[in-house]
Amino acid sequence: MEAGTASSGSGIHLPGMEIAKASKNRYEVMIGPAHPGSGHMRIFVEVDGDIMVKVDPDIGFVHRTMEKLAEGREWIQNIPLFERIAILDACNITLPYVRAVEKLLGIEAPERARYLRTLLCEINRVASHLYGMGIFGVFLGHSTLYMWAFGDREVFIDLAERLTGARLTHTYPVFGGVRRDIPDDFPEDARKATRYMRKRLNEYAKIFLNNPNIRSRLENVGVLTKNQAAELGLVGPNIRASGIRYDVRLNEPYEAYGDVDFEIPVFEEGDSLARAWARVEEVRQSLNIIDQVVTWLEKHPRENFMHEKFWKTAPKLYKDVYEGKISYSPKYRIKLMPIFASLKVPPGKSFARVEAGRGEIVYYVESNGDIFPYRVRVVSPSFRNVIAFKYVMPGHRLMDLPAIYGSFDYFPPAFDR
Amino acid sequence: MPAKVSQKKNPKRNPLGKVFAGNIGALAVGLKYFFDPNRITLLYPHEYIKLNKGYRGFIVLIKEKCISCSSCARICPAAAMRMLSVKVYNEKLKKYMIKKYPVINYNRCIFCGLCVDVCPTEALYHVPYHDIVYENMNDMILSLEDFQKEPENIEFKEGIPVKYYFDERRGLVKTPYMEELEKRNEKEEKNQKVEGEGEKGAS
Amino acid sequence: MNPCYYACYIVYKVIVYDIIFYPPVYQFLIIPGLITAIIIAIFIIWFERKAAAYVQMRYGPWEIAPKIGGATQLLADLTRYAMQEIITPQTVDTLQYLLAPIVMVVLALLPLEAVPLTSVKPYFPIPSGYSLLVAVAFTTLSPLFITMMGWASNNKFSITGSVRESFMITSYELISVLGLLTAAAMTRSYDLVKIVNLQMSGKWLGLINPIALFVVFIAVLMSTSGFPFEIPESESELVAGPFTEYSGLLYGLNMGGAYIRRWVFSILITLVFLGGWAPYRPTPGVITGYLIPSLIVSLKAVVIMGIMSFLRSVYGRYRLDQALGIAWEILIPLALLAFGIGLAEAYFGII
Repeated sequence: MEAGTASSGSGIHLPGMEIAKASKNRYEVMIGPAHPGSGHMRIFVEVDGDIMVKVDPDIGFVHRTMEKLAEGREWIQNIPLFERIAILDACNITLPYVRAVEKLLGIEAPERARYLRTLLCEINRVASHLYGMGIFGVFLGHSTLYMWAFGDREVFIDLAERLTGARLTHTYPVFGGVRRDIPDDFPEDARKATRYMRKRLNEYAKIFLNNPNIRSRLENVGVLTKNQAAELGLVGPNIRASGIRYDVRLNEPYEAYGDVDFEIPVFEEGDSLARAWARVEEVRQSLNIIDQVVTWLEKHPRENFMHEKFWKTAPKLYKDVYEGKISYSPKYRIKLMPIFASLKVPPGKSFARVEAGRGEIVYYVESNGDIFPYRVRVVSPSFRNVIAFKYVMPGHRLMDLPAIYGSFDYFPPAFDR
Repeated sequence: MPAKVSQKKNPKRNPLGKVFAGNIGALAVGLKYFFDPNRITLLYPHEYIKLNKGYRGFIVLIKEKCISCSSCARICPAAAMRMLSVKVYNEKLKKYMIKKYPVINYNRCIFCGLCVDVCPTEALYHVPYHDIVYENMNDMILSLEDFQKEPENIEFKEGIPVKYYFDERRGLVKTPYMEELEKRNEKEEKNQKVEGEGEKGAS
Repeated sequence: MNPCYYACYIVYKVIVYDIIFYPPVYQFLIIPGLITAIIIAIFIIWFERKAAAYVQMRYGPWEIAPKIGGATQLLADLTRYAMQEIITPQTVDTLQYLLAPIVMVVLALLPLEAVPLTSVKPYFPIPSGYSLLVAVAFTTLSPLFITMMGWASNNKFSITGSVRESFMITSYELISVLGLLTAAAMTRSYDLVKIVNLQMSGKWLGLINPIALFVVFIAVLMSTSGFPFEIPESESELVAGPFTEYSGLLYGLNMGGAYIRRWVFSILITLVFLGGWAPYRPTPGVITGYLIPSLIVSLKAVVIMGIMSFLRSVYGRYRLDQALGIAWEILIPLALLAFGIGLAEAYFGII
């Protein structure tokens, strides 16, 4: 929006609230905030004929002051809070916070806990990508992909539920470990689910990505060049579709990602189709990781699921609960020591990042030795991706807006925090 | 071994495939599922999921085990759990003493289960269901007595309990959970017997 | 005889025999007009939802009548639309706004006036000499009022939608008209009865000239804008296109209008390409001369609509320029080719 073109008629001028004069022959369409294809945001679109000339994403409709809220809550209470940033990717979203606090505490999760976290992260990534694909499908009027993706997402949500006890808000990683170990029949279920999903991905490709109708909508639409992607500082599968080899799992392996064998798919084209394919390929790799992690967990004894600091002094009851000797409580539950309720974290600053479903998520945590964090800063992947709309969309037709919007797998609540 | 980068390209399409192969593939997949549907929908409330034991549903207190340590109330991220002071008769000291017990406000509870996990004596536990209806919001703030009872699930009376099993071919397959049904039938029979006897007694 | 009874009898006879069973009125109102069209729309919408549900891991309509697969769902929906308040926004052009959907639906039914459903002469709605031409001409009327709806709504999304509608109509109506008139070239006649009679021997024009059938099928699919080919009202960018401001029964009429147009085209396709009432040969008499052939035609038309409905679960929405590109670059040459093939076939006496 050009500065200084504020209307002179009205009396009050608020910064950012000026009404820009529309140019001649331009048509201003507002997609959102109450629009079936916008999500919780608004996109100012200026159209010249059918061509979008100026696109301005306007965010902030679901701002929840997460960062400020975090300053008034105890360390562990922030985990369920941060899950709400992007609830469909709960483990990935909270993991960097946990890791940052672990750095301040000077501890590191033991091996089994790291594998368990990796497992849930990948389950979440699959579910999150399927969600994105489903929304993408319905944006293009392809209701079958929408229903399929959401139906198959249920498989992975069910897996997560069997692992953690909750479908979406897992609150799974805690400082020094995780909250549950895998149930006995979990590996078999997980393998069935991955085998099923691999088969389904081929069908997705047949009905959606290789469907000539959809292909023509996506090919060479919303091309994001390598340079542009780097300049704008985008993250996640969106830049990997543009040919940038950047993935936190690759550049700075965390948890068990250094030990499992998987590939990071990188595409060259950078168009909507490549972004969609990048997600499909990533789901395939995630399924591989799930298989490997599950096999590892099966082979190794059930020990070292919690850091010694929090488990060394555990009373006998805690071990009984883990072994399932308490009749009314489920097996393999890792109880938390009461110290978690009033945990004091040594003063310091720390920083952690992981690769969430939509891209890199970064937490900066500052402590002054209190039971509350002094400051938590979250940079969510959607917040970094939203700017791309402004530069990618102009020049395309109005009907390409959903095709580009959907291809960025963009989740409005995640940027507003 | 760390991750590897694999360079990929959008799958190419030949000009002929542009017209035929893609369309036919899509239509074939569509027809396949039209004639052999793979349904995943739960016909709630005619069916309800019999959830696994580990599910984090509503929370129940075992009062005898509670040591009034307040850990659950302190860790609660939503401030749903509060400690309630209750006068308790202490038989050893032979006098009334004030003791604290947790109560829960389901208006606020987010079912994160941290309270259950942090309880040092395992005095709290989850029931594996969450389909519970309260008539008004005040009812959702439980009293100490209500907090000790397992809440009553309405669907359990009419719906068919269903379990989802993982399947390689169909993903999730829903199957009626017969054990639960049999249990319920037995209960109903008992109830009918009791009622019948009651009627006889009355007559 | 009681004179009062006699008067009643005469009124009854006049109403029933001279008005309702007067072929033009009957065709417009009962078969295959308004009432049948509504029933077909109810059935097809149910089938569309059910078929999509089968493909999409769902049950579809079920709850309202579990034993018959929720077939009465649409009645419930219709009742809801009928009960809903019709909101007229202040900024709209009221008369056109209210009139356009009603006129659209009436005009959408008008082509059925020209369609003979039997070869027995007393049951022709109009003399059938130029019936194909008249029917095709009438089909092009109702889309104008969709454009009018968008204009009268005075809403950015509506206007964008109606502009798209006019784009789509100009290109795809042309194709369907060209494709349907191929039959005239092949049979040297605009008479639908004659066209059908020529196909009695099993030489359906759709089999002889499949390209024309294919072209008309695609054109009808696109121009009647059923999901997901509803480029004018694509939800994800235009909310509901020309119908954005409508509510209640008027919105229901818009939804029904598209299905009625599809129904009309399906009947035309059936008559022209799929042999109409063949292999049945109508004989004089109401049942054998009118009801049975009209039912055969309706059945074939429903099958065509069912195939069109099934496609919604396989395809997505084309971009406007791509849809127009397909029309002008692929389908119109194809339609001309089909026309040429038809002429050649007529010349060499294949028909």
